[in-house]
Amino acid sequence: MAETNIRRVALIGGVRIPFCRAHGPYGDLTNLEMLTTALNGLVERFSLEGAHIDEVTGGAVVTHAKDWNLAREAVIGTKLAPTTPGITMMQACGTSLQAALGMGAKIATGQIECAIACGSDSVSDTPIVFQRKFAQRLVKLSRSRSIINKLSVFKGFSLSELAPVPPGVNEPRTGLGMGQHCELMAQEWGIGREEQDLLAYESHKKASAAYEAGFLDDLLVPCAGVYRDNNLRDDIDLEDMANLKTVFERSNRGTLTAANSTPLTDGASAVLLGSEEWANARGLPILAYLTHAQTAAIDFVAGEGLLMAPTVAVSKMLDQAELTLQDFDFYEIHEAFAAQVLCTLKAWESAQYCKEVLGKDKPLGAIDRKKMNVFGSSLAFGHPFAATGGRILGSLAKQLASKTKARGLISVCTAGGMGVSAILESAVEKNSPVKAGSTDLQTESTDSSLSGHSGPGGTVN
Amino acid sequence: MTDNPQANIDALKDWRFEIDFEGIAWAVFDCEGETMNTLGRRPTEELMAIVARVEDAADKGEARGLVITSGKDTNFIAGADIREFDDLAAGEDMEEALSTTIALFDRIEKLRVPVVAAIHGFCLGGGLELAMACHYRIATREEGTRLGFPEVKLGIFPGLNGTVRSIELAGAMDAMGIMLTGRMVRPGPARAIGIVDQLVATHHRLRWAARKAVLQKRKSKGAPWWKRLLRKAPFRKYLAKKMRQKTSEKVREDHYPAPFKLIELFETFGDSRRRLKPAETTAFVPLMAGETAGNLRRVFRLMEMLKKEVPGETFKPRRVHVIGAGTMGADIAAWCVVCGMEASLQDLNEEQLVKAQARAKKLFRKRLKTKQAVDAAVARLISDPDGKHIPRADVVIEAIVENLEIKQKVFAGIEPKLKAGAILATNTSSLQIEDIAKTLKDPGRLIGLHFFNPVPQLPLVEVILGAGSLDTEVRKGCAFVTAIKKFPLIVKSCPGFLVNRVLAPYMLDGARRYQEGEPRDKIDQAAVKFGMPMGPLELSDVVGLDICKHVAETLKLGPMDDSELDRLVKNGKLGKKTGEGFYVWSKGKPKRQQATFDEEELEELGRDLVKPMLDECERALAERIVESEDHVDAGVIFGTGFAPFRGGPLHYRKQMKGGAAEAA
Repeated sequence: MAETNIRRVALIGGVRIPFCRAHGPYGDLTNLEMLTTALNGLVERFSLEGAHIDEVTGGAVVTHAKDWNLAREAVIGTKLAPTTPGITMMQACGTSLQAALGMGAKIATGQIECAIACGSDSVSDTPIVFQRKFAQRLVKLSRSRSIINKLSVFKGFSLSELAPVPPGVNEPRTGLGMGQHCELMAQEWGIGREEQDLLAYESHKKASAAYEAGFLDDLLVPCAGVYRDNNLRDDIDLEDMANLKTVFERSNRGTLTAANSTPLTDGASAVLLGSEEWANARGLPILAYLTHAQTAAIDFVAGEGLLMAPTVAVSKMLDQAELTLQDFDFYEIHEAFAAQVLCTLKAWESAQYCKEVLGKDKPLGAIDRKKMNVFGSSLAFGHPFAATGGRILGSLAKQLASKTKARGLISVCTAGGMGVSAILESAVEKNSPVKAGSTDLQTESTDSSLSGHSGPGGTVN
Repeated sequence: MTDNPQANIDALKDWRFEIDFEGIAWAVFDCEGETMNTLGRRPTEELMAIVARVEDAADKGEARGLVITSGKDTNFIAGADIREFDDLAAGEDMEEALSTTIALFDRIEKLRVPVVAAIHGFCLGGGLELAMACHYRIATREEGTRLGFPEVKLGIFPGLNGTVRSIELAGAMDAMGIMLTGRMVRPGPARAIGIVDQLVATHHRLRWAARKAVLQKRKSKGAPWWKRLLRKAPFRKYLAKKMRQKTSEKVREDHYPAPFKLIELFETFGDSRRRLKPAETTAFVPLMAGETAGNLRRVFRLMEMLKKEVPGETFKPRRVHVIGAGTMGADIAAWCVVCGMEASLQDLNEEQLVKAQARAKKLFRKRLKTKQAVDAAVARLISDPDGKHIPRADVVIEAIVENLEIKQKVFAGIEPKLKAGAILATNTSSLQIEDIAKTLKDPGRLIGLHFFNPVPQLPLVEVILGAGSLDTEVRKGCAFVTAIKKFPLIVKSCPGFLVNRVLAPYMLDGARRYQEGEPRDKIDQAAVKFGMPMGPLELSDVVGLDICKHVAETLKLGPMDDSELDRLVKNGKLGKKTGEGFYVWSKGKPKRQQATFDEEELEELGRDLVKPMLDECERALAERIVESEDHVDAGVIFGTGFAPFRGGPLHYRKQMKGGAAEAA
């Protein structure tokens, strides 16, 4: 590129369909249908009917072979201009966040003007395939010409080959499930059951307060008649939670339960990004700027905690941004498991970990927990893998939009021992937060910030 | 028409036409300046030019097939142009006009190259008849795709040989079924009965599937042998008898002749295309020219008028909050949920909320198809005893006891919590909006939304304009009513509004006649014979005699003391809900007397029974509580079920006067 001026990356807004537990209301829907609904919701929200978007990038983790071109197929099903390209990519639970980071970089360098980052996941519409041995026989069969050849393909055939294989969610390199890995982390870091349950409990409480305050109303587009995340429990009870059996480690050492882990979830999300010029030209509001990002991986195969990589990503990103961990008004730490969040926080506070793993002289330190996941997170809403990043971006941007000079940090762990992090900064620089339909503007203290459901929604039709 | 100058193939206005490099002719119907394609005069003439061009190209070997499709997102062809029907019905050359279009469809059918109809969205009436003249039909499976013959609802039946072709494609039973009921058929069942040959998942595929069908010279196979067998004489007689029986259960022949004429047509000529074709036209013409069809077209126009009451209004409600979980409140909330919205229902009485949920679930099961849809609906109806959801609602409707002070108190509590731009409405039927609004900070915000019981069945909602109600709020109210698939009627605030005001004199007059010795069953039979959905006495029982009395008192309709109605109420005989009123009720049905009365007497009594209603309609019009005569008629037809085939009360009275004048 001729120009090397780095431009600011504007986050215009995000929407998602309500998340639903697997095999529930979205049981009959495919990733393509859910993603199309989310994209169309974004189109309607920001009046993008017929608009050309430079790139739509995203994907799904659990996906059918027929969805090899998922993002483009979804775009064709929307009201966006048919000239809008769709690029399918995937980084497990980091998919839609990573998509946004990639798009952000292209916008920053001037390669593109606008983009949509998106993600969808359905555990209800699971691709089930034949075992490799049998699949190879079928391939050979299609390529053989004579009857003798065709018959010889089935030499040594055993009925057991016919057992179908569902997609594995276990880590291929360790054979352990995500929950089993997280249970190990909890043991290693000494994270107790009560602590985890409390975090999950608070997540539900915060999320349901956000609902009541109407914070989510303009972030959600109804899908299949569903208006509300169905994992969310208004009436969640700590005692009930304490009575649940552990699910990944059945012995009494186990701490992870169905309540302090995310359930398998169906859902989709989409986020609109653009250059400031593009947003202004279309008369779209800018909620926040995407300013920094990092992706990291750790050697979990050699024994490190599988979901600890976000600690590394965040540490690197802070160095790059020349900020400390305490310089933020909001923290969005994705709650894959309550234990994952608690391990991450504890690691940042540990001098030894910060020195040995992050190469720091001093620990990154503690964060103000009142600023973390203010409107609830994945334990309450559920976690459709590829859609979670989009949910967090949309929600954090809205939180930032009502504050002046505010900063938000995102941290997401992914399968394969990876972590993705990002920084969003409020677009409001002077002391005039974006005015919204509601009168009760956000107060400065974040613990009562549920009153701040006065996002920028009111300025957008 | 044949001697009309032919439309110019190079200057089409309602169609786009090209023959592509593969030799496929594409005729894309895209009515100029409209959102719906209708087969009016001009597009038909243009289609004629297109067909002539394709005939020529096919002869020369330049075209290998024709695809007829639509340029609109929501419809293939919504039907013939109903706006032109009145001219057609009044004109002397109806038969000729019909035969021109019939001849055009025949030419399409006889084209020597394959003709494919590629259907997405509504394909109705004349549009379906055109599609059936094609050799092969492909439709999308998308949600908006619907096929059907709504003609009976306009007092006619398909008149462009749709009777002939639908029977050939779908067999007598299915074809007659869709023609007699006028129901819209979804893509799956359309394929199953044979009026569509192939389905594709989305509209993107349509073009390509049509291309393939042309290249492969696909042709519809028509009805299978066993279906064709049913057209033969003995079966046909039996089928006709069954159809007559079923149709009589729904409508009376003296009110709605069209379906019965159609059955007769099928019974007489059903197995011969050669004889059925001309017979269809012969039977069609008098129906189309008749009074019933004219009146039903009027009802259709009135419906369209109410649907478009607030053009350009962009208010899009998603969340509704209803206060009061009585039958009315609960039904309003449940109905909004059925229509896809989220509704919160508030009541101090938790038991009432539980009952409302159970009642709503029954409705969801009845109206929604899949378990998922029902579950999603259940989740969309939120019990909200503390009114926490008020600030999120786009529409807040109060449906509590008819007590001014309580209502004022409730509204005073709601007002400060309301979201900017949300509608604030009361479902009151006997209090005045102005009085309720008095204690509000912004009294202009309050409007009335008067629903009728049972909410799921009755299509009208009166949108009440108080003396101080803001126009913007009334417009939003209408948009909301349209969004829940009902017809909004704007009525100025006055006792009884429109519907109750005109119904009450009708009911009380029936009661008076009964008291004076007219047999109960004679009164109700006469009203039904006139075309009312229920006689005045049965209706009073259904509404509840206490409510009748209350409404009569609100409207100051004379002293009630010492009337039969008063006596029944005092004895606790309140009608259907207590098991006895004018009738004794068992299992939800009144016990009628099996008496037959002289037909002419019944007719005369019927006319007399509606007279007080018509008088009240005239007074309501004189006071301009609704905008126009058409609005009075629309309100009374959709609000009371007043005999649609008579075209509305004021229209009926005018026709009667006209008839009398002519006779004199």
